[in-house]
Amino acid sequence: MQKNDQADKFIIPIGPQHPALKEPGHFEFTVDGEIVTGATIRLGYVHRGIEKATESRTWVQNLYLLERVCGICSHIHATAYCLGVERLAGLSVPPRAQAIRELVVELERIHSHMLWLGVAAHEAGFDTLFMYSWRDRETVMDILEGLTGNRVHYSANILGGVKIDVDAEQTKTILQGVDFLEKRTHHYLDVVTTDSAFVQRTAGIAVMSKAVAEHFGAVGPTARASGVTQDIRIDAPYLAYEDFPVEIVLDTAGDLKARFVVRVQELFQSYQVIRAILDKLPAGELAVTMPRRIKENETISRVEAPRGELFYYLKSNGTDKPERIKIRTPSICNFGTVPALAAGHQLADMPMILAGIDPCFSCNDRMVTIHRPADDSQTWTWEMLRQYGISYYREKER
Amino acid sequence: MKIGVMISDIMRSLFRRPVTEKYPFERRAAPQRLRGHLIWNQEKCSGCGMCSKDCPAQAIELITLDKANKRFVLRYHIDRCAFCAQCVQSCRFKCLQMSNNDWELAALKKEPFTISYGREEDIAALVGKLIPADAVTPEKA
Amino acid sequence: MNAIGMLTNLLFFPAGLFVLVTGLAYEWVDRKLVARFQNRLGPRWFQPLADMVKLLSKEEVIPEGLDVRLFVALPVVALAGALTAALYVPLVGLNPAHSFPGDLIVTLYLLSLLTMCIGLAGANTRDRFSLIGATRTLTQLFSYEAPFLLALLGPAIVVGSWQIREVTAYANQHWLILTQPVGFVIALIGLMGKLELPPFDAPEAETEIVAGALTEYSGRGLALFRLGKGVELVIGLTLVAAFFLGGVANPVAFFIKTLALLLIIAGLQSLFARLRIDQAVGLWWRYGALLALVQLLVLIILRFWGWNGGL
Repeated sequence: MQKNDQADKFIIPIGPQHPALKEPGHFEFTVDGEIVTGATIRLGYVHRGIEKATESRTWVQNLYLLERVCGICSHIHATAYCLGVERLAGLSVPPRAQAIRELVVELERIHSHMLWLGVAAHEAGFDTLFMYSWRDRETVMDILEGLTGNRVHYSANILGGVKIDVDAEQTKTILQGVDFLEKRTHHYLDVVTTDSAFVQRTAGIAVMSKAVAEHFGAVGPTARASGVTQDIRIDAPYLAYEDFPVEIVLDTAGDLKARFVVRVQELFQSYQVIRAILDKLPAGELAVTMPRRIKENETISRVEAPRGELFYYLKSNGTDKPERIKIRTPSICNFGTVPALAAGHQLADMPMILAGIDPCFSCNDRMVTIHRPADDSQTWTWEMLRQYGISYYREKER
Repeated sequence: MKIGVMISDIMRSLFRRPVTEKYPFERRAAPQRLRGHLIWNQEKCSGCGMCSKDCPAQAIELITLDKANKRFVLRYHIDRCAFCAQCVQSCRFKCLQMSNNDWELAALKKEPFTISYGREEDIAALVGKLIPADAVTPEKA
Repeated sequence: MNAIGMLTNLLFFPAGLFVLVTGLAYEWVDRKLVARFQNRLGPRWFQPLADMVKLLSKEEVIPEGLDVRLFVALPVVALAGALTAALYVPLVGLNPAHSFPGDLIVTLYLLSLLTMCIGLAGANTRDRFSLIGATRTLTQLFSYEAPFLLALLGPAIVVGSWQIREVTAYANQHWLILTQPVGFVIALIGLMGKLELPPFDAPEAETEIVAGALTEYSGRGLALFRLGKGVELVIGLTLVAAFFLGGVANPVAFFIKTLALLLIIAGLQSLFARLRIDQAVGLWWRYGALLALVQLLVLIILRFWGWNGGL
């Protein structure tokens, strides 16, 4: 993320309040006429302190706190956490519960990708595609609401299993919805690959080579659109992905169009997996009892969120509360690619390049810590911070 | 390359009713599993307090007046509730459930957001002590 | 014409109140149609009026670091220009209130005045979104203006007069869309460019530059600019309908033809992704201007050979 100090540069600020992104993030684009010459990113406007908050809550309560890390990929956060905690406690979760979790994960992926399709179309000024993709997204939202009881925070998981079961009637509604969505998805794939007005906004824009994607550590569909073969569902199967596998969706073009194609194609994988799960749903228990306390141990948990690899680190200390939970969200890995891709493109392409990585701002729950100049310690007293602030602004004024 | 790929969509929509739901003028039935407002069935409650212990939002207060005679008051704070239904799972006696039709919970005042479940005389006993006098909206369990 | 008559013309009909209300109504129809094309409900009938009332009653914030007189005057000039243009076009199928040889050119320039004012308004402020928006507005003005003008000159060349009244009198008998289809298409799309409707809304692309040149305007100034755009929509539709669609001899024909054009415009709005400003300029100069020019040349040559322009 390069920094431009020259005052004579014309800088377009986008965010933290801007109609392009209804979410807090600050982007500064240095422009020469319409051509962007440099970009900087500032994140962390949404620091909520969730990681710290987990340390004062029990394992059970944390499930619901962590589900609220993100409103779009809520279930995957809860699932990653559950998988980690169950591994810490040495629990084996019944196969039916794992399959139902996978079912909700894939339904959530459909909702997330369709939401993204609409947002990206809106950034391109194609509001009709936006409206239609969101209209059809209601189908999967209704399915999720009917299945779990809520549109956004499904709360399908409990530690040791799931709360919800899938009955014959649910199966029928889900299959009907998936059939409808599959038909519509074919249409949207047609739109994003053949509509000339739309394609000329996406084809050849923000081309990211495989090397660049790997250099910046891009994850998920953003990386797969550049030909990086990385999908946790395939690399390290969790839940029931061994029994109900998905195929990796790759594109080597690396441009915005490829990202559209990869995400839309992934929808077909999700439909196929949902059908497979509903066809051969293992019988058995929904949940096993979870111990309240977990002996001292540590583990990691990796899952494939709609935006890419989601990583949890969990450490227990023998009580009913965790010692430390660390979350690495996918968007934070992808943001680094934006300044690298921005230079040389037009200002009009910027919202699309940003949207191309499917940025989730709840993922950017980050804080900047400042090391004390004197002794490199991170502890600051109120008085020290005050003095630091005063001298900082004095320095700046001079 | 084609021009105007979505033309079939827009032409069809022109002669079709908009899909926008005219809420609140037209309402759809809520799904069977919807997690709405919490309901407490006092008869089965043993007063173990797991519901309030597991609640991630401190939305449940279980006040024990007399454990032997099963005199409990459950104060439910809707404004804190995250509607996660963990309490329903934690309850071993299945005395908690979430309503699937009572979900329009907006109110102009703060008082309706706290509900005291329990016998009327028990709630009355608590008024002025644990419960502020102006915050009582007794409800039949 | 006496003074009272002129005043009535300016304040109520055909310019003034009538065209303002029609502008709002057409804006509503446009929004409603786009909404229906997108399978949405769309606004209720009084929404543009309510927006106007709200904007007019709001405080007008004048930002620092700009020419205040210009900031206040530009919306007034823009609306005045649009309203003056309304005097020369056959609104509701009636004869134009005023007419003189060459008023077609004057009307087209008055219509451009609004865009110029928007560009100036953006350039006047120090806001970065406004400056970019102003650059884009003016760039787009220079790209669509030539083809749009050439397209509307087609009928004038055929009639041999640059007076709107005479052109419409001729067009009432002839559906010029049949002989000048290219001109019709270019005029209609040019109108969309003029009004900065999608897909030519790069100058006010909200996802990039907020509201473009008008970002700093709130309250009264924004209301006047929006009213101006509404008026321009009506005038533009009237001109295209009168010139190419067999004239607007009576109110019924006027409303049917202009609303049909609005339906097409709304459809085109919903059908395309926003064009980048370079793509829009390229489209206009590479295809629009060239086609309009070719058609104009063909018309001139045919006329030279004594063809009367009709079928």
